[in-house]
Formats: sequence, C-alpha cells, structure tokens
Amino acid sequence: MNCLDYRRSLAAGDAETAGMKAHRLQCSACTALWREHAEFERELRAGLEVEVPPGFEQRLVNAVVFSRRRFLAAAGVAAAAAGVGAYVWLGRDGPIALACIEFVMKEEAKSIMMGAMPREAAEAALAGTLPLARIERIGQVKHVGPCPFNGANAYHVVLSVPQGKVTLLVMPEGTVSATQRADHDGLYASVVALRKGTLGVIGTDSAVVNSVAGALRT
Amino acid sequence: MRFDDLVRQHAADLYRYAFWLARDRSQAEDIVQEALLRGWRAYPRLRAQAAAKSWLFSIVRNEYLRAVRSSSGEPESLEGLDPPDERASNPGLEMREALLSLPASYAEPLALQVLGGFSCAEIATMLGTSEGATMTRLTRARQALRRLVAPAKERKGGRS
Repeated sequence: MNCLDYRRSLAAGDAETAGMKAHRLQCSACTALWREHAEFERELRAGLEVEVPPGFEQRLVNAVVFSRRRFLAAAGVAAAAAGVGAYVWLGRDGPIALACIEFVMKEEAKSIMMGAMPREAAEAALAGTLPLARIERIGQVKHVGPCPFNGANAYHVVLSVPQGKVTLLVMPEGTVSATQRADHDGLYASVVALRKGTLGVIGTDSAVVNSVAGALRT
Repeated sequence: MRFDDLVRQHAADLYRYAFWLARDRSQAEDIVQEALLRGWRAYPRLRAQAAAKSWLFSIVRNEYLRAVRSSSGEPESLEGLDPPDERASNPGLEMREALLSLPASYAEPLALQVLGGFSCAEIATMLGTSEGATMTRLTRARQALRRLVAPAKERKGGRS
C-alpha cells in the first residue's frame, strides 16, 4: 500500500485494515493524517448520534407486542367462527380489556393533550352511563374528555384514588356479556358491564383496578 | 433472536437513521414504529438471520420512502429528496448543523456507515448502487463536512 491508497481508503471512512496500519506505522505523514481523521470521525459520530426520545425503545417494543396481540386476537375470532374457539388464541386476556390497555399506552397522552371537556358538558355526557358524581365519590377526577374507542364514542376519565392513578373508559354504547380482564406490559384492565353501557378501568395494580371497577359498577 | 430483542438492540440507531432521512424527530419515531409493525410479520420468513440488522435498516428506509410517496405522490428514490444546500450561505457550521445541511444522498450513507457499522459493499446493496459510487459519496460527504466545519473551528481557535 502507498500513501495514495491509504488516504483514499481513509477518506471514504473505511476501517483501517492490517495493510493500512502497516503502511501508517512506517509513514509519518499518514500517521498525522490518521490522527486528524480519528478526531474528525469522533466528531462525526457525535453529530450523527441525535438524542433518542426517552422511552422510545420501550414504546417500540410495546407497539410490536400489541400488534402481535391484535393479530392473534383476529386469528382467535376467525378460529371461533370456524368453531374452534377463540379462547386458545386469546388466553385469559379479553380483547376489549386489551384494547383498553393499548389505549392507555398509545392514545392517553394524546387524548389529554386534545383538552378536557368543560364540567357541565362532562356531567351531561356521562349522566346516562356513569354519573360524574358517582366517580367523584371514590376519587378526584383529573380529566374528562371524549375519545373514539373500539369503533364507537367513549369518554376518557383520569381518576386519582388514594392508591394511585387509574384510567376509566366509559363506553355508553359498549356491551360485554361477562367481565373481561387483561394483564399486559405492567398494566391491568378490567372491563365490566354497567346498567347501560360498559366501563373499562386500567391501572398498574390489579387490586386497585378491580376495586374501582367493583365500586363503580354498583 | 426474538424480534423484540432485535428491536431493543437496534432501536436507537434505527431512530437516528430515520432522523437523518426525515430530518424530523416525530416523523422519525413514526417511521421506525410503522416499519417495525410491518416487519415483525415478515421476520419469521427472514432466512439469513445474520442479515437481520441490514434488513431492519432497509425496512425503515422503505417506510420512509412510502411515507414520502403517500404525502406527496412523489419520488421513488432519495435522490430527489435533497434539502436545500446551505453550504454557500452558511460557512462555518458545527458538525450537527453541517450534517443537517448535507443532502440526503450524502447523509444517508454516512449514517449507515457510522451508526449502522455497515461496509461500503453493504451500503451499496442497501441503496441499490455500486460500491464505487458509494465510496465516492462517502468521500464527498466527508469532504463537504470538513469544508463546513473548518471555519467554525478556526473561529473557536481565534477566540481562545
């Protein structure tokens, strides 16, 4: 290898091969160039390594996991239609309960950013399904907003109870024949039938979620 | 290797690569997420597990091109996506700014080489070009960066 070959390889950012190194060690001009190049490459790497948003990796994995779950749930529905039964595919997790967890992970922040409903509007919207006053008996309501959910209109409520924060999804048009539960990625959801409509409760602690769901359904 | 583990291993560099394609943080996040949601179903069919990393970078690239096409109905390659060249008007930029002023056709192979650790031959395959053309782009990209960054260094040197 000569100086020209060495410099040409270095200029394209190639890693130094044994042949290149052997040349450098006997050429002071190329050694000086190599030092300057190494410093430039450090700066270049630092420039390219833009900051990754906090939690990005986990959000990505969660999205993939949910996509897989949705796929398996759809496969489960198809299996049920064929008479095989969806239970095998879905395991213990109910599809609406899983969708509730997905909402909290992917949509809740956006829903809050869209803004809360004025109190009067929230009272009117929830009156027929789960009156606001009943929710306030067990905790402090931090947010009420409309949100499309599962192909229908629903209301998103953030509730602070003494044991922590839970999310409620009040679905006036929803129906479930039996309570659904899901436990996924550190979140737990319980979906219960109300006298009219359906309620999803999502939180990190299954005991708190079940307790809130039980208190609000009665 | 499980797909989730592969994603965890390369998430940061895939995001950075998407950023250097889109030059927009939220778009970069969307591109990587969409690409991987499409990718996980195809993953079991990937025969060469050793090529999984370059496959991930390729699906991110394809997703970016798909996003550009669906928003503008436009280009099929990155050649037509070059941002305005600021070299003439902004001499003396720091490295990050200098990189931002590079056309995508220069910044992309650099990102693949430095962040992805791919060789010229691998980059050429991913970009659908020849190894020689890739080497030329990488060399010119570095030359352009040196020209852009040098005046800033001189100014700093003069100040101290």
